[in-house]
Amino acid sequence: MAAHFFTLSIITLSLFVVASSGELESELVADLLTLQSESKSGVIHLDDRTVSKFLTSPRTPRPYSFLIFFDAANFHDKPELRLRELRREFEIVASSFITNHNSSNTKLFFGDIEFRESQSSFQLFGVNSLPHVRLVGPTAKSLKDDSDVMDQGDFSRLAKSMAEFVESRTKLTVGPIHRPPVLSKTQLGLITALLLLGLPLVAKRIFAGETLLHDPKIWLSGAVFVYFFSVSGAMHNIIRKMPMFLVDRNDPNKLVFFYQGSGMQLGAEGFAVGFLYTVVGLLLAVVTHVLVYVKDATAKRLAMLFTLLVSFWAVKKVILLDNWKTGYGIHGFWPSSWN
Amino acid sequence: MSNSSTSDLLKPFKLKTKQQELLIRVSILCLVYILAFITRLFSVLRYESMIHEFDPYFNYRTTLYLTQHGFYDFWNWFDYESWYPLGRIVGGTLYPGLMVTAALIYRLLHFLRFAVHIREVCVLTAPFFASNTTLVAYFFGKEIWDSGAGLVAAILIAVCPGYISRSVAGSYDNEGVAIFALLFTFYLFVKAVNKGSLAWGLASAFGYFYMVSAWGGYVFIINLIPLYVLVLLITGRYSMRLYVAYNCMYILGMLLAMQIRFVGFQHVQSGEHMAAMGVFFLMQVFYFLDWVKHMLSDTKLFQEFLSITVTCAVAAGGIALGVGMASGYISPWTGRFYSLLDPTYAKDHIPIIASVSEHQPTAWSSFMFDFHILLFLFPAGLYFCFKRLSDATIFIVMYGLTSMYFAGVMVRLILVATPAVCLISAIAVSATVKNLTVLLRSKNKVAQIGSTKGTSSAKASSKASLDQSQPFQKNGAMALLFGAFYLLSRYATHCTWVTSEAYSSPSIVLAARGAHGNRVIFDDYREAYFWLRQNTPPDAKVMSWWDYGYQITAMGNRTVIVDNNTWNNTHIATVGRAMSSYEDEAYEIIRSLDVDYVLVVFGGVTGYSSDDINKFLWMVRIGGGVFPVIKEPDYLVNGEYRVDKGAAPKMLNCLMYKLSYYRFGEMMTEYGKPPG
Repeated sequence: MAAHFFTLSIITLSLFVVASSGELESELVADLLTLQSESKSGVIHLDDRTVSKFLTSPRTPRPYSFLIFFDAANFHDKPELRLRELRREFEIVASSFITNHNSSNTKLFFGDIEFRESQSSFQLFGVNSLPHVRLVGPTAKSLKDDSDVMDQGDFSRLAKSMAEFVESRTKLTVGPIHRPPVLSKTQLGLITALLLLGLPLVAKRIFAGETLLHDPKIWLSGAVFVYFFSVSGAMHNIIRKMPMFLVDRNDPNKLVFFYQGSGMQLGAEGFAVGFLYTVVGLLLAVVTHVLVYVKDATAKRLAMLFTLLVSFWAVKKVILLDNWKTGYGIHGFWPSSWN
Repeated sequence: MSNSSTSDLLKPFKLKTKQQELLIRVSILCLVYILAFITRLFSVLRYESMIHEFDPYFNYRTTLYLTQHGFYDFWNWFDYESWYPLGRIVGGTLYPGLMVTAALIYRLLHFLRFAVHIREVCVLTAPFFASNTTLVAYFFGKEIWDSGAGLVAAILIAVCPGYISRSVAGSYDNEGVAIFALLFTFYLFVKAVNKGSLAWGLASAFGYFYMVSAWGGYVFIINLIPLYVLVLLITGRYSMRLYVAYNCMYILGMLLAMQIRFVGFQHVQSGEHMAAMGVFFLMQVFYFLDWVKHMLSDTKLFQEFLSITVTCAVAAGGIALGVGMASGYISPWTGRFYSLLDPTYAKDHIPIIASVSEHQPTAWSSFMFDFHILLFLFPAGLYFCFKRLSDATIFIVMYGLTSMYFAGVMVRLILVATPAVCLISAIAVSATVKNLTVLLRSKNKVAQIGSTKGTSSAKASSKASLDQSQPFQKNGAMALLFGAFYLLSRYATHCTWVTSEAYSSPSIVLAARGAHGNRVIFDDYREAYFWLRQNTPPDAKVMSWWDYGYQITAMGNRTVIVDNNTWNNTHIATVGRAMSSYEDEAYEIIRSLDVDYVLVVFGGVTGYSSDDINKFLWMVRIGGGVFPVIKEPDYLVNGEYRVDKGAAPKMLNCLMYKLSYYRFGEMMTEYGKPPG
């Protein structure tokens, strides 16, 4: 009797344990789903407590895998790490995955961890460099050794390569990546409506000849701005995303504003040179047209001298800068019998 | 006595002022014409008269075919020697203007019994047209401002490095002729707008036809001119002259442009040409409104009618455009031109376009290199133009600004901006110099009058006061004049240096300094091609990277797999895949293409830096874009591209590496250094 009771209780207890752990597991999944729906783009924010709740405490095999993005708020400003951009791409992958599976998937969850809040979790995972993305599979026991790390080359094509990493390791398809459009549909509709409404008014003003567009000074300043923008190489800076200045490698306190070497330039450098060009050109124009109206002869002479000196200095400066930057020594070709 | 005899001798030579002025102008233009031609001959003097670079070899081959087989065979030519096994429809995929021009010059010279070889004609076509461009620049400057500005513009454009870069002797490429056609078309159109005559409009339509036949950059013209017309309309400068000029040019130009098979129906089907059509219809609306205004006497009624009509017209135009684009009849902007509007597009989406070194964005030092002091004079010229606004100055300002913006996006387009920058700077220089010299000469006249006039004290005192302010002005003017001439002489020095050092190298022949300072010439490219020509069977097929395709067909006279036309990305990707696979896989691919020889360029012995190992990553990227089995990270070590023994194993075993470094260990690179 006692033996029967004993075995029965053991079996019930074990069943209970299994059921409760099973229940525990489904509770965990439900918790994760709620957290996911609460978060902005399906990326669950993890900290030490939730890491232990969802990752270290449950027994393996867990019913889900976790893709974790490791972040550090104080490194957001370093351009070479591109943390903000990678974070956004990670969110796009997460939201695309969830939409493609109609929010009914429970196999893969996306999370991110911040360094300041959860230093011990960083140690658990053994993360010591950023950016870092890790996939924790269902059977991973030790977080440091059994999880898959996404390597640096996969960051190059952003969302697409992250999706490929997920697909290759978890055998789950991410599906097409949905990127949010620049203007949402309502914004677009609003803009078109405004345009259509405003069209007759604008047409009437144009014909009357009263719009801002008729003032030549506006066009002139626009023209000078386009010139300044092109000549200073601002397009180059925008396309290549060059910084305004660099920190000198040998002396971290000094800032380098001018890049030595032709074909590349820094932001501040471009603006400085563009400014010098514009100043010289405009001074010449001002002297010819505006100075004539000044009555006082001395003022006229002073202005002329000023223009001469400034133009001379600016041109010399630009030419010196160009010679330093490109290293070319431009010289004339004299007959060799003259030497 | 002797005085009068010498003056008698000189009497027949004494010219009136007007004739003197004409003589000076004509002699200056002749000198500038010769200068423009001569300054482009550096490479012919240093090396020999040969065709440079890669693209010109295709143009040379087609011109050769044209002179040998006549126009109809050329127009219907199907080339089976390139892009094996696909072949290429040459007649329908090129711009014939350059070839036809060179062939005509060749025929003319032969008619005059000068038995020149077609290669000489090809080599010297570009400098000849550059000289013609200076003449057109003179007339254009005269149209916009006055003849002084025209002369300065001709001088500036004769030596400007931005133009020289693509029109040296030997650079037998479309741009050499196209810039002449561009400036010519613009000149004819501005003349038509100024005069309002149908004859000039007709001439501008033919000029546009020549431009369309010469270069794909005609899209710039067909968008700039409608933009210009739109600006004129908005600023209230609509006139009958504009109507006549634009209508004639657009309709006739469009019909003529459709004769070029490469362009085809793009003028009515492509999104890039829709601006011209839209402006055309807008012009009709303006004409209609003008006519209604003329008929109606009630202004208030007219205003209401005006607003309704314009709204309806714009809405109808918008709907038509929308329907056209949605149904797919009007194609959107192609990648090449879309990347000008959105410059970051090419880098992310089309690696072939992004990889060309000419398509990189421009740093300010490149502007300085190609324009020198013209950059400083440009805003001054802009200001002068705004002070004397007319239809012509508005055009040149728009041309200058749009081309400068595009030149900032892509280095190659500095070429298109050069005529505008030269013209606007010429206006600044000419106006300034004119003012200064007027100051100088007027002072002399006043002094003369002062000295010959009487001795009355009032006059003397007034003259004295005038004289007091004049010396400063005169000295100032002299100083400024000297400064201006000094600047211009520095400009000329800079241009000559740049032409000599930077733009006169035929990439096919390399020169270096030997150990004793003597010049060593590397003619490896041509030796390799002639080896192919002499030592391989005539139907052998050669596989190489697409850069060398044109040269192999032109000089080696063998069939190639891919060439510089790059019209079939999958075929190029197949070659890229073959080059970056292991030898056994590559052999399969190569046999499937029927290839007999593989050509690889390797610069390890001489230190030549733009060889195939350097371009290898692009082969991987382009191959990997079509065949996912090629992955770029396989060839890198920690994200770094290495070719020494620490390189990635896939890199060390791929076909390209094996071919380049075959038995390299046995070679000595420099005396005293270990082999390999």
